Parts: sequence; structure tokens; C-alpha cells
Amino acid sequence: MSPTPMPGLTNMSREHMICSKCGEGFEPQEKIVNSTGQLWHQQCFVCAQCFREFRDGVFYEFDGRKYCEHDFHVLFAPCCNRCGEFIIGRVIKAMNASWHPSCFRCEMCSIELADTGFIKNGGRALCHECNAKVKARGLGKYVCHKCHSIIDDQPLKFRGEVYHPYHFTCTACGVELDANAREDMNELYCLRCHDKMGIPICGACRRPIEERVVTALGKHWHVEHFACAKCEKPFFGHRHYEKKGLAYCETHYHQLFGNLCFVCNQVIAGDVFTALNKAWCVNHFACSVCDQKMNQKTKFYECDLKPVCKKCYEKFPAEFRRRLRRQHEAATPKKASTPT
Amino acid sequence: MSKAKKVLEEARELQNPEMDLCDRGIGTFEELSGLLNMTYITRLTLSHNKLKSVPPGLANLTNLEILNLSNNLIEELPLSLSSMPKLRILTLTINRLYNLPRGFGAFPVLEVLDLTYNNLKDSSLPGNFFMMETLRALYLGDNDFERLPPDIKNLKNLQILVLRENDLIELPGEIGDLPRLRELHVQGNRLTILPPEIGNLDMASNKSVFKFEGNEWVPPIADQLQLGVSHLMDYLRSETYRVLYSRYQTNKPPVPPPCVDKAKKVSRIR
Repeated sequence: MSPTPMPGLTNMSREHMICSKCGEGFEPQEKIVNSTGQLWHQQCFVCAQCFREFRDGVFYEFDGRKYCEHDFHVLFAPCCNRCGEFIIGRVIKAMNASWHPSCFRCEMCSIELADTGFIKNGGRALCHECNAKVKARGLGKYVCHKCHSIIDDQPLKFRGEVYHPYHFTCTACGVELDANAREDMNELYCLRCHDKMGIPICGACRRPIEERVVTALGKHWHVEHFACAKCEKPFFGHRHYEKKGLAYCETHYHQLFGNLCFVCNQVIAGDVFTALNKAWCVNHFACSVCDQKMNQKTKFYECDLKPVCKKCYEKFPAEFRRRLRRQHEAATPKKASTPT
Repeated sequence: MSKAKKVLEEARELQNPEMDLCDRGIGTFEELSGLLNMTYITRLTLSHNKLKSVPPGLANLTNLEILNLSNNLIEELPLSLSSMPKLRILTLTINRLYNLPRGFGAFPVLEVLDLTYNNLKDSSLPGNFFMMETLRALYLGDNDFERLPPDIKNLKNLQILVLRENDLIELPGEIGDLPRLRELHVQGNRLTILPPEIGNLDMASNKSVFKFEGNEWVPPIADQLQLGVSHLMDYLRSETYRVLYSRYQTNKPPVPPPCVDKAKKVSRIR
């Protein structure tokens, strides 16, 4: 639509030519405007609204009349509901307004909607995906990142997105996945295959350990499942004691297995004297009568399962010793009474 | 200077918290001048002496954890002993105690109480005796008890109970309520039957000791003991035994005579 004055036509049977606007003929030396096969006086080829010449010769035609760009826009062109500018070219009519194709976007994710279509949701234009998300959120459900429809059952989380599990198959065995599938090294596996991939199994709950692993007693454990066999409190890295395939906390190990010193009642850290159904720490293994320290080599007598050194035993009343001896013989009939 | 004084002097110089005064021929605490001011001592051993009494002032030794008065001639104890704040082990083996002071059970942290070879009987124990919840071991062997009160169940931490050679006619069923008991000595008494509650105890394990010889056990119990403690424990828990026990309780057969001659005990005051 760019008409150009045609001075070259001036000599062509000028007497038969008339101006399309005023119907008058042209003077012999007058410039004639030729546009789309029609002729005008130069002063007649003007905007039908402002009667001024077309700037750069650009005009718009409507209903057989020509308008300059400005007046055409003012009179006929739609304004974009977003940027407020006139819309030249393709106009998107939607939501009771007009839009540049590049201005009509999803109100949530801002994707252009001109070619994909949109859904009106609570007075907003949304793309299909965002609409599904909004709807799913309303129902407390996820939207599948692949098919964009609501996930009714358990979703599968993979690389930070949620999906219908059935869009995927196990990397190892190819079986269609369910929500129990596990991600490992950015691949998806069914639970069976994942369990078999050298991932440790907790000795307590028999489930795979995906976080920190404790290895003890020849087994693997969830940190929170490696606990004292007596009080069931997890060790959480504290020292544990093993006995017959079970682990115990310090307190219960000593309570159960008797490694508390009979005298100080403290846990025995170093060497242990064990005798007479009791234990002593090195500092407290002593005669129960005179408190004199004894060692492994000291011979001692037993009285009510307490150690008595030879010197003290000999100071016991004779009748008491007699009775103790008789008792000892009664308890161990074949052996003569001797210090242990 | 007597032997004891010399030891005291030395100990004071060394500031040794453990005081050994064994077999020094000490007759009274008055011979041990200054001892009651040595408040830093944690152990005092006065075994094999000739002490007849204990002064209340001994309780001044507020850091004392172990007090050993074995083999003396002590007839009476001061009540103040039971207020000693750190006393954990009190040994009074081979003395001449007929009674304990009223309120004796007030020890705040006593763990081991050894009263072996004295002359204590049922009425000797003060009312609060079984309130000593911290007690781990109670040695009452060689005394004259015939019965123990059901209060014994309050000794929740008791691991060792020695009742050897008393005159016990029966045991309280409450002994079965002592969850940590692992040594029970009842040899040389007049027991015939055991309360079924004893079956609650874990006496058959290899950490436990049950000494039972020298009693007049009824034949079913004697038979089980012949087979072993684990058999006895199973039997005590059985319905058969429950029936036998209740029948025995209603029939009340005669009590056997004392089986140990304790007339010659040196603990007796003559």
C-alpha cells in the first residue's frame, strides 16, 4: 500500500484522465498520483479525516476511503489490553478485549497463548498446564509433568518433578513403574531391582538404607535403628557394646553382664577381676574384712560370696570357720574345702 | 606412742584419704585422738579391734564412703551414722549387735550393708529399715531372724540378699518383687516351703546364685532342687505348686526346730 506519484504518466492521453476524488481533469503539467490503478490530483490524495498528505505516502483504506496512519488508528484500529498500543496485524480477541499475539500470555507462567489456546479460570487466562495445576492444587493433588493431567494415585517424584509412575519403566528390568520406584544416579528403578543393586538393607527394619549407614555386628542399620537391645534407645554414634550378636548401651551392658565394680559401682574401664559372681576394678579388688588390696595371685576364702583374705579368715571365730567349712563341704560334697 | 597413734600421725602427714587401722588392739575411739577431725578421709577400716561402741561424732567424717568395723565387740550404734551423706559401704561383720537404733534406715546413699554374724532378730530392725532404696547388697547371714517383713519389696535396687544361717521359718513372697535380685542365700534355716512369687526371680540364669542347702524342704521342693535351680523355678511357677502351697498354708504343719547350733557364737554377750 505504498502509492507513488507517477510523473512518467503525464503525457499519456491526459485529456481522458480524471481525479478519482473530485472528478476534474488534470492540467498538462500537473503531477498526477496513481495508486492501485486510480488517479488523483496531488491535493486530492489526502487523508479522508485530516485532509493532509500521507506521510511517506503511507495510507490505510477503509470502506473505500483512505486515512493517514494516525487517523486510521484513532478511528478503527484496536488497542492492546496489555500494552495499550495499537494492534497492527494479527489481533487476538479474547477475554472481551484485544491483544497483540505477543501480549496475550498465561497469567501464571507467561507463556504465549495465541497459538495454543487458553482456559478461562477465575477471570484469568491460563495455559492448559497452569489450569491443570490450579485445579489439582484445589483437589490436593499433583499434576503430571509429562501429560499435565491430574495424578489421582501416588505420584512418582523424579528429578524434582512429579509424574504418573506409568510414564516410566524400570531402567533395569523394563517393568512399568509404580510409586515405589526409586531414583538412583538419575535413573529410575522398580523397588525390586533397586533393592538388589547393592544398596544396604537395615538389619532392624529390613528396608533399604538410602541415607547414612551404620555398619555393626556384621549388618547395616539405619542410624535411628541401631539401638540398645535392652532400652531400645538409638546409639547415634555413642559407644556400644556387643554381646552374643546384640548391641547394648554402656549402662545396660554393664547392668546385664555385671561389669560394674562391686565396691564403687562404676563401669569397669580397664582390667576386671571376676570372681564370686561379681566383678571389681583394679583399685577395689580387696579383702571384704580388712579392705587390703588383693591381686590375681592372692589366695582368698569365700564367705557369702565375698572375698576374705587368709589373714582375716584366720581371725574369724573358730566356730564360724567350722560352720563355713561344713557348708562349703555340703555345697561341694566331693571336694575338700580349700581357698579358691 | 601406741601403734594406732603412729598410724594416725603418718596418715595425717600424708593426707591419705584411706585410713587403715586393722588389728591395732584399739579398745575405744578415744585412743584415736584427732581422727574425728580428719574430715577428708573417705575410707576408715577398723577391723579386728576391740571397739565396744561407736561415738556419734564419727558422723563428722562427712566424706566417709566406706566404714569397716568388722570383728569388734560393738553392741550399739549411734543413730548419727545413718545421716552420713556419702556413706556407701558399711561393714559390721562379727560384732555383738542385738539391735539397731530407731531410724537407722535413713542412710541417703548406702549401697552395701553387711551385718553378718551379729544377734539381730525380727524385732531388731527399725521401722524404716527397708526404706534404703539405694541398697545393692544386704548381708544378714548368721543372725536370729525368724521372719522378714513384706516391706523388703521396697529395696528396689537390691541385688544381693544373704540370710544364711538364721532361724527363718518362711520367706516373704515380696522377695519375688525385687527385680534386680541375683544372689539369694538362705542356707541353714528352717524353711520348708517357698512362696510361689520366688518363681518371678531370674534365679536360674548363669548370673544368679541361689543357695538353699540345710533347710527342711518339703519333698517336692527337695526333689526339684536335686534336679537343679531351673527345675525349681519352673516348678514354683506351675499350677501344681500353687495348689500345694495353698494347701500347705491352710494345714500349717509344725515348724522344724532350729537346725544350726548358734549358742557358741562369740557375738553373744556372756
